[in-house]
Amino acid sequence: MELFSPISGTIMPMLAAGKVDEMTRKFGLSFPKFLAQVLIFIAVYAILKKFAFGPILAMLEQRRQRIADGEAKLDKIAKNLVDAELSAKTVLDKANDDATRLIKEAGDSAKSLTEKRQQEAIHEASHILAKAREASTLEHEQLMAQLKREFGRMVTDATSRVTGKVLNTDDQSRINQETSAQVSL
Amino acid sequence: MELLSAFTPTSPLLANVSSKATELFHEGGVLAFLTNSVLVALVVLGVVFWFSRKATSNMTLIPHKAQNFFEFIIEFLYDRVVGIVGEKQAKLAFPLLGTLFIYILVSNWFGLIPGVGTIGFGDPVGPFMVGEVHDPLLRPPTADLNATLALSISAFLVWFYLTIKELGVWGFLVHTFGAKGGLKGIMGFVVAIVFLFVGVIEVVSMILRPMTLSVRLYGNIFAGESVLHTLGGLLDKAGYPWSFIGSVLFPFPFYFMELLVGLLQAIVFTLLCSVYIQLSTTHDEHSEEEHH
Repeated sequence: MELFSPISGTIMPMLAAGKVDEMTRKFGLSFPKFLAQVLIFIAVYAILKKFAFGPILAMLEQRRQRIADGEAKLDKIAKNLVDAELSAKTVLDKANDDATRLIKEAGDSAKSLTEKRQQEAIHEASHILAKAREASTLEHEQLMAQLKREFGRMVTDATSRVTGKVLNTDDQSRINQETSAQVSL
Repeated sequence: MELLSAFTPTSPLLANVSSKATELFHEGGVLAFLTNSVLVALVVLGVVFWFSRKATSNMTLIPHKAQNFFEFIIEFLYDRVVGIVGEKQAKLAFPLLGTLFIYILVSNWFGLIPGVGTIGFGDPVGPFMVGEVHDPLLRPPTADLNATLALSISAFLVWFYLTIKELGVWGFLVHTFGAKGGLKGIMGFVVAIVFLFVGVIEVVSMILRPMTLSVRLYGNIFAGESVLHTLGGLLDKAGYPWSFIGSVLFPFPFYFMELLVGLLQAIVFTLLCSVYIQLSTTHDEHSEEEHH
């Protein structure tokens, strides 16, 4: 390293003493060989720049961009998910409230309807009972009237046979009335 | 003279590894430039071209194996470069720095392939056999000072371009020779003189950078070649099969060391270039404040 040290000052005496030629010969230094190596290096540089560095750095940048986009999308999706969960919770809460309210209203309505129907049934039943009672009374009265008429006819018939007299209409009517008046059922 | 003799394998212990690349056509002429290291450099060029095409053809967001491997290397390098020179300069400097790293690494490791440096021409001792290879057919480019100088001077020129582009000529002069600290009066004058002197030293160090970069890389790889050849030939005179066993066993552990050295030298060269760019393209704090 002393040869190349500017501090030691050995390079100048060597150059002055014409050692450069000897050094050049020893290491085979020549301009054509040097130029050939430079041209080969430039060719390697051009090849790598065109076929390697350019496409690969572009690909790395593209991949980096894609990852960054993916990360951004992931963040956006996560944010959307939180929003969606919040929105779903709100909707569910509202639906829950509505459902509770509707069930309560339905319960109230059903209860009211039941009572109404019950009242109507009771009213209907009372009506039916009254009508049945009325029909029964009417039928009883008809039967009683028929029975009285039958009984009056039998009394009239018996009176006619006992007395051997043919009873006229007035007699029959009078006997029937007396009989009916005396028969109280 | 002492330095040069250190590169001459005169010691009987050291293998006779030439310190320079050998011309493939000894007659010279138009093809005088075609040395064994240029040949390997062309092979490295082909390998880089083939692999970069393989890695980047049909690229997909989910990478295939070759793409994934190349992406790993380039992303690793790019992150390191950004960490040193910053995002703005990295966009400009990365193609050069990435090329330097890949080219040096492939070249260094290419020298470890069996046959590189050992297949070649020499004194024949039998059919297709030579006693010692004087002119190997293949030599790693980074074991040729022409190639390492080509790399370092190319890096130097790009460094100079980026520096002037970032600072301008006047900004570069101020950055190099200008006094820092904002002192005024006599103290300011003294400090300015000191910084002027420091600037001269800085310029000398800048000029020497290509030399230090190239010699460091060349020295390490050439030394590794020499070590492997020396260890591989330790039992050459013991006769068969000991010479064969020795040529396999002795260098074997050092192959791992040379793998590491090859990687480290590629990293050192690239990182030093990055640091040089960072040092010269960084704006001074007070000039930044003035600018704002």
